[in-house]
Amino acid sequence: MAQEKLYLKGDKLLDISNYEFKSIKNALRIGREKTIKKVKDSGLKGRGGAGFPTGIKWEMAAEVEGKEKYVVCNADEGEPGTFKDRYLLEERPLKVLEGIMLAAYAVGADKAYIYIRGEYSKSIEIFSEIIETAREKKILDANLFDSDFKLELKLIRGAGAYVCGDETSLINSIEGKRGRSRIKPPYPIEKGLFKQPTVVNNVESLCCAAEVLNPDSEEFSELGIKGSKGTKLLCLSGDLNKPGLYEVEFAQITLAEIIYDLGGGIKGNEDLRFVIPGGISTAVIKAEDLDFPYSYQAFEKRGSSLGSGAVIAVSKKHDLIDLMLNVSRFYMDETCGTCFPCREGNRQINKILNAFKEEDRKIETELISDIGNTIRLAARCGLGQSSLNFITSVIENYGKELKFGGKIYA
Amino acid sequence: MLRAEIDGLNIELEEKISILDAAKKANINIPTLCYEDGLSIYGGCRLCVVEVEGEDLLKPACATEIEEGMKIKTHSKKVRDLRKNLFELIIATHNIDCQLNCLTCSRASNCELKDIAEDIGLSKMRLDPIKRGDSVDNSSYAVIREPEKCISCNRCIRKCEEVQGIGIFTTANRGPETVVTTFKDRGMGNVECTNCGQCILSCPTGALHELYQKESVLDILNDETKHVVVQTAPAVRVAISEPFSNQAGDISTGQLVTALKRLGFDAVFDTNFAADLTIMEEGTELIDRINNDGKLPLFTSCSPGWIKFIEHFYPEYLDNLSSAKSPQQMFGAVAKSYYAKEAGIDSDKIVVVSIMPCTAKKFEAKREEMAGDVDYVLTTRELASIIKSAGIDFLNLEESEYDELLGVSSGAADIFGTTGGVMEAALRTATELITGEELGKIEFEAVRGLEGIKKAEVEIGGLKLRAAVANGLGNARKVMEMIKDGEEFDFIEFMACPGGCMGGGGQPISSDKNVLEKRQQAIYKIDKSKKMRKSHENPYIKKLYDNYLEKPGSEIAHKLLHTKYKARKI
Amino acid sequence: MDKLKSLFYQDSLLEKLHQIQITYGYIPEAEIENLSEKYQLARANVYGVISFYSMFYTEPTGKYIIRICDSISCHLNESDSVLRAVKSYLGLKSHQTTEDKKFTLEVVECLGHCGEGPVMMVNNKIFTKINKNKALEILNDCM
Repeated sequence: MAQEKLYLKGDKLLDISNYEFKSIKNALRIGREKTIKKVKDSGLKGRGGAGFPTGIKWEMAAEVEGKEKYVVCNADEGEPGTFKDRYLLEERPLKVLEGIMLAAYAVGADKAYIYIRGEYSKSIEIFSEIIETAREKKILDANLFDSDFKLELKLIRGAGAYVCGDETSLINSIEGKRGRSRIKPPYPIEKGLFKQPTVVNNVESLCCAAEVLNPDSEEFSELGIKGSKGTKLLCLSGDLNKPGLYEVEFAQITLAEIIYDLGGGIKGNEDLRFVIPGGISTAVIKAEDLDFPYSYQAFEKRGSSLGSGAVIAVSKKHDLIDLMLNVSRFYMDETCGTCFPCREGNRQINKILNAFKEEDRKIETELISDIGNTIRLAARCGLGQSSLNFITSVIENYGKELKFGGKIYA
Repeated sequence: MLRAEIDGLNIELEEKISILDAAKKANINIPTLCYEDGLSIYGGCRLCVVEVEGEDLLKPACATEIEEGMKIKTHSKKVRDLRKNLFELIIATHNIDCQLNCLTCSRASNCELKDIAEDIGLSKMRLDPIKRGDSVDNSSYAVIREPEKCISCNRCIRKCEEVQGIGIFTTANRGPETVVTTFKDRGMGNVECTNCGQCILSCPTGALHELYQKESVLDILNDETKHVVVQTAPAVRVAISEPFSNQAGDISTGQLVTALKRLGFDAVFDTNFAADLTIMEEGTELIDRINNDGKLPLFTSCSPGWIKFIEHFYPEYLDNLSSAKSPQQMFGAVAKSYYAKEAGIDSDKIVVVSIMPCTAKKFEAKREEMAGDVDYVLTTRELASIIKSAGIDFLNLEESEYDELLGVSSGAADIFGTTGGVMEAALRTATELITGEELGKIEFEAVRGLEGIKKAEVEIGGLKLRAAVANGLGNARKVMEMIKDGEEFDFIEFMACPGGCMGGGGQPISSDKNVLEKRQQAIYKIDKSKKMRKSHENPYIKKLYDNYLEKPGSEIAHKLLHTKYKARKI
Repeated sequence: MDKLKSLFYQDSLLEKLHQIQITYGYIPEAEIENLSEKYQLARANVYGVISFYSMFYTEPTGKYIIRICDSISCHLNESDSVLRAVKSYLGLKSHQTTEDKKFTLEVVECLGHCGEGPVMMVNNKIFTKINKNKALEILNDCM
């Protein structure tokens, strides 16, 4: 039976008086360079979906000269199926705060934002209180533990726009603009928020960084394998008996174990058709192909990605066109509307799928694949580029089984 | 020195520039759509994407700086296939169908989308047009918007905001609901639009065009009971041939007059005449304000886009505006009074049509303060279209002269068509009137050229006149802020459009990057070729004052040739 | 001095909009004009920002904003049947408000309770593992 590893998950951490801030204290003791080195050596990769090495991001940001530098905690968790950041914000906000402080200290920033999606009202409430008490306790806005490090932190509420989860869209949103992505380069590390060097990190990434620096969990960095280090929070949902949040060590558990052991297998008497392994921007993994260890590289090898950690099990009882339409509607409605491939491509895909459902039309797989390619190669941001991964993978795997209109599989 | 390779060609660059610019230097055309010279980079259409060696994803050439050692393919198969697929998606949102088709489009003869389709070798269209069901915005007297044609390239938004400094347009909503619109979808006629029409020049889709009066004018020309007179603005004669020749900078005053006569206008007159008249009235006003401690600086009032701009954004400065009507309106007022009397025609029967490089003139003619002066306003583009539809072979027409009474003008009037022209014309006359001596050098070089803001100190008989010239409303705003910050001027020329009237929103849409320079050179050439180059020397102006208006600034001149302004909300 | 320079200390437009939305239940035009003045932005521009975000409204909303998630995880757990029931009960389509200004219905994307779907949110309160009947009970409690 697969076992959970508990680092990120755990008891509630809400009382600042009883929280020791061991990681940031450790960092203050060893200094900026060593802090960055530790995170770099830990092999930590961003947990928001793109998987960029956190330590390298910090190192680059630390080297950039700037009038001001910013750290932004991206808590705009919006990828359908994902709820790990909400858990961390609601249950372990002090870890999140400590992670932000670590990042700021490491890169030499004295101002930070946390951008929490507007729908997470409980998270917003909890984190606002944390900020307030942290200010009272001189954890924020004051020289921390008599060091020369001082951090100011502001909370910004999102307002219902998935694309703001993209780091440059999020920066625009904080600046009070439409949440459309920026053209890179320049990357945020060079010119981000208010044109200043900016590090944007996901909530879970920051909590991982806090574990890396935590003297009580020195073994954290040793977990996993090269290329996939530490632990990962998994959000299990869909047709599972035991959906919920789980923490696993990389490469020590297979996707099959995740589904059948942790997730308790498929609800009712249904059979699994496929797993969406990292949220709806990732390509599906067929039920018969789940027997591989959970790691970044294993998914990459299979043309997919572990994305945000949203593992969604889909049984055979569902209509595939209905599911594709659901995902298609999501991307169609949530594109920022700026770049033509993403805006128009997702609109057309939705039209094509709808026509297939309602009319006796043949599914135009070539057209879908042309549009898919156009979006993947030419869209402006990562969210756009990956918007058709689910749909094209379903068509690739099940295209032959799709039948005209209505019910579509034997 | 930076070295890179584009399509197998080795290039060397002095500085980092975009892949798009570097390709241009190597004589490689990369198709673009949301890109426009002089506007910020948007990076939305993605048509200009290119392949960079070592990268899977394509890069937008407009927004990507070239790096040392980069190897770029601008037209590889991967890129070409993608552009075709992408363009199919774009065209589907342009909504061409039986109702909304290319034949009736304002850009029928110079469609940017069609050119792109040809450039990328589009061969099939697999997607049906998207029906958004947006209604036409016809709330404005000047500019019509057909959102169904709009592909959200954002050029009008950037033009209005970045060049004109106004920002009546925005991208609203997101996803499939993303549209370009005005504040709360109010319509251009119900927001702080100045009617300058610069957005029309930027729109690649024909979604923006002037409010057409072509049909009304053709109808009135067929009405035997009416005496239809026409006036042509200074900037029209250096642009009207462009839709026929596809070439900028030609002067075709004589052909213009012939064409108008052939179209059946009863008299063909010149707005230039009224420009000379404007100098007399405005010049007198300037001298009067200087001598009698009047409100300074004096602002010119010829450009109706500028007038609406100041009414919206700087109403506290309305008293600085010259009360003189614009030449178009002066012409109308004089045609319906003086000309009616001299020609013995009942003024009720006179219909005044203007040919203007301008869309704001359509709004100006409708202003209640001046209602009735001018009945119809056609843009240069509309006139070109009428000439075509009448089967007139414009380029090969013989030349004719304007009808005399309101058709003779000085070179000073011709230069009204360019930025700095009104200022120069005023300086020529003011200097001679104040000093009583003939000017040696007639050209005032300091106010010439295409810079957005020009400042000059001019000595006139011991008086130091602090002059400024601004073209483009973005620059007008800058000058207004200088004034607010305490900078002192005596006389300022403001033109709403970049380049002045020759760059007006009603002018032919040119693909020539140097179109403004060429039109400007043509204007100065006309001025130089004239014997009479100062407004006050125009014998027909003298005659007008002698026989009818008494003297500049007289009571009757005020009644006919001056107007009032009003503060408007934003 | 430093404080004045950094944009960090300026009120964020997004936060301002949230406050106005909470105060009035929508963003009135006069407030847009104030913001346009304060931030030196064309009012069209401010409108463009507001209309981008689905939690901001330029028209008055109902006392209760009912958000029902129909993203994939909830959808797999039959959120569409909940939706159908609520729509017919309130007589609303998504993004509409009842005439008595009591309810605004929004079909929304993921609310981040995917393991406990279907999920419904009434103003700031989350309800998980709902079904048709539970949803209607919740609405009745608002009456």
